[in-house]
Amino acid sequence: MKRRKLALATLLVVIGAIALVFAGAGAGRTNASAFKVAWIYVGPHNDGGWSQAHDDGRLYVQKMLGSKVATTYKENIAVGSQFNQTVASLAAQGYKMIFATSYGMITKQLAAKYPNILFEQATGTDLSKNLAEYFGRAEDTIFLSGMAAGYASKTGKLGDVLAFPIPEVVRHANAFALGAQYAHPGATVRVVWTHSWFNPAAEKKAAQSLAAAGADVIGQNVDSPAAGQFAESKGLPWVGYDSDASKFAPKSWLTASVYDWGVYYLKRVKEAMAGTWKSGFYYGTINDGFTKLAPYGPGVSAAAKAKIAAVEKKMKNGTFYEFQGPLTDQAGKVRVAKGVKMDVLKGGTNSLYGMNWFVKGVIGSPKG
Amino acid sequence: MRISVEQRLRRPRWLTVVVPVGSVVFAFLVAAVVLVATGHNPVSTYRQLFDAAFLQNQSIDQTLIVATPLAFMGLAAAAAFRMKLYNIGAEGQMYMGAIFGAAAGLYFGGRGGPAPFPIAAMVVAGMAGGAAWALISGVLRAFFKTNEILTSLLLNYVAGYILTYLIFESESYWRQTKGFNASVFPTGKPLPHSAVWPGWTLHVQGGLTFPLGAFLAVAAAIVLWVLYKLTRFGFEATVLGDSPRAARYAGVRMRRKVLAVMGVSGAIAGLGGASQIGDFSHSLDGDPNGLQKIGYGYTGIVVAALGRYNPFAVVLIAFLLGGLENAGNTLQGPDFPAGLVGVIQGIILFSALGGEILSRHRIRVERRTKRVPAAPARAPEPAA
Repeated sequence: MKRRKLALATLLVVIGAIALVFAGAGAGRTNASAFKVAWIYVGPHNDGGWSQAHDDGRLYVQKMLGSKVATTYKENIAVGSQFNQTVASLAAQGYKMIFATSYGMITKQLAAKYPNILFEQATGTDLSKNLAEYFGRAEDTIFLSGMAAGYASKTGKLGDVLAFPIPEVVRHANAFALGAQYAHPGATVRVVWTHSWFNPAAEKKAAQSLAAAGADVIGQNVDSPAAGQFAESKGLPWVGYDSDASKFAPKSWLTASVYDWGVYYLKRVKEAMAGTWKSGFYYGTINDGFTKLAPYGPGVSAAAKAKIAAVEKKMKNGTFYEFQGPLTDQAGKVRVAKGVKMDVLKGGTNSLYGMNWFVKGVIGSPKG
Repeated sequence: MRISVEQRLRRPRWLTVVVPVGSVVFAFLVAAVVLVATGHNPVSTYRQLFDAAFLQNQSIDQTLIVATPLAFMGLAAAAAFRMKLYNIGAEGQMYMGAIFGAAAGLYFGGRGGPAPFPIAAMVVAGMAGGAAWALISGVLRAFFKTNEILTSLLLNYVAGYILTYLIFESESYWRQTKGFNASVFPTGKPLPHSAVWPGWTLHVQGGLTFPLGAFLAVAAAIVLWVLYKLTRFGFEATVLGDSPRAARYAGVRMRRKVLAVMGVSGAIAGLGGASQIGDFSHSLDGDPNGLQKIGYGYTGIVVAALGRYNPFAVVLIAFLLGGLENAGNTLQGPDFPAGLVGVIQGIILFSALGGEILSRHRIRVERRTKRVPAAPARAPEPAA
């Protein structure tokens, strides 16, 4: 009996202590008048790649606008009913603007259901009154990173870890291959699909199989640095994507095409706050500062750096474009005639957003 | 002092209430330590959690979005587990239900006819798809004594690949192929308007919409309850689960029961898949970052266990867990990492499941008393 009483007393004291410690500690922290903006990520916010680049953009907006905005993010959100639930919850909390950072997240119907929220979606093409789309010419900088890979390759056999067999990824893989071939004539790029944007285990396995097939440089169009960590363990040079991930593979790191989403985010959030926001399709460029090359790793020679810089300069003044004909496909058929420049949206499968074929020298199927 | 855990011979009524409530209170206390250690205020966190799950405007509306599939998956698991038939494949059966349901909706939706017909067709097709997928494991178990845990689990992956294939790697009937957008990113063909499932909106809490699926889940719970409580079928299945040998002596046909129960379980999971399409996404979602990422089918097993396979308890637990899930999503953000949300959800689930042991067993603390010469030998414990 005595023991039970003692236990009861202890419990009461513990509860009392907890209550005392937290009594009075307020909950509300956010400024009520702040403009509320949310970002939705398909993977973790610190994935070392795609989502992290977006989160850097969010932090930039928060830093530049200070207490005038309240930003948040939702990470690891699955497309479908969980996504609907997330948007409903953000709407209920008074968020006025939502950046969805993966295509397939927001449909026109969903945007129409929340007419008072401004939606922006990365990498897509659906437009409506309150749904805008944004992305950028990563293919330019991926070409440059492909050059770095080509110069680093001894055998001319490269590998590329890819997410989904869709035009965005196909065009990036093509740009990588064209860059590698520019630096190393006759180079081939073998590709492996992971069927996921963020799946470190599958990405590592893909890199393993590429190395086993003889690739001596690994590139990627997926979100995590897992392929790089594998490359580091094998001493193979590695080209990343989306973010500067050199810390995950300091010796293997060559460079990567990275995005600076913050510039666009800041502009759009300001427009939304001023009431001048309009829906539209934005395709950022290297001249906007939207895409750039990450700092080089130790494996890029001075000669390679100079050559890459020369091409970058030509890209900036418009005298070089990697997707200018003649471009031949895997079977050797000329797809884009000499002198013709591929457009972003126009031209069906010969547009950047419709490209479903690999250029010559890529080994693997563009259908997955 | 000696501490022993022994099975309870009788389970007092009050325990079925006190144990779960006590477990949750215990979980909140443990989670509070984690919250304090990570620099969060437990009181305001819990307040936010309940607000987001059940109290603030439109919170129940959002909770139902998660609770509906969890109820289907929990019922699917409970239906089979009752007979000690461990169907771990509700996940894959849900995909199959989604595939079949979407096909029916796309086919019948655009063809006129009476309004409820396309929706009824989706319900039937979804159940058929799920049941058919479950019966693969059922047949293997009934005729070849293959372990259904393994086959049903592995078939989940197969179903996932089929889902990805239909949208990402083929120009299938389910995939949107018209228009330029369709070539940019593969998406499912949207359901015609007449095949979109209706919802009933109550004007409380700033709008509370009950999806058709929520009603179907409750209906499925009633059917399951009647089946197991009031019919010979259910009685035989229960006996078969508890003692296969006794059931065989009594003339229960083992194979038929395995097939029937697997079919019922799969049909409920398939119905959940059709509800995902009809109620929520309105097109087949093949994205591994979509339906395949959430894992409702696996969470359903936890729901079933917490509900002790009682259909009505399963529905209630699905609602509570749906709230927890919804709150977790609302809570996470820059100040509150998603991992921490997972830790708190994990502590709550772990305590709730762990607490179960106290309702079935009791802990006896024996104090060693001074040996008295006349003390009789300890009476044998009652056989467990």
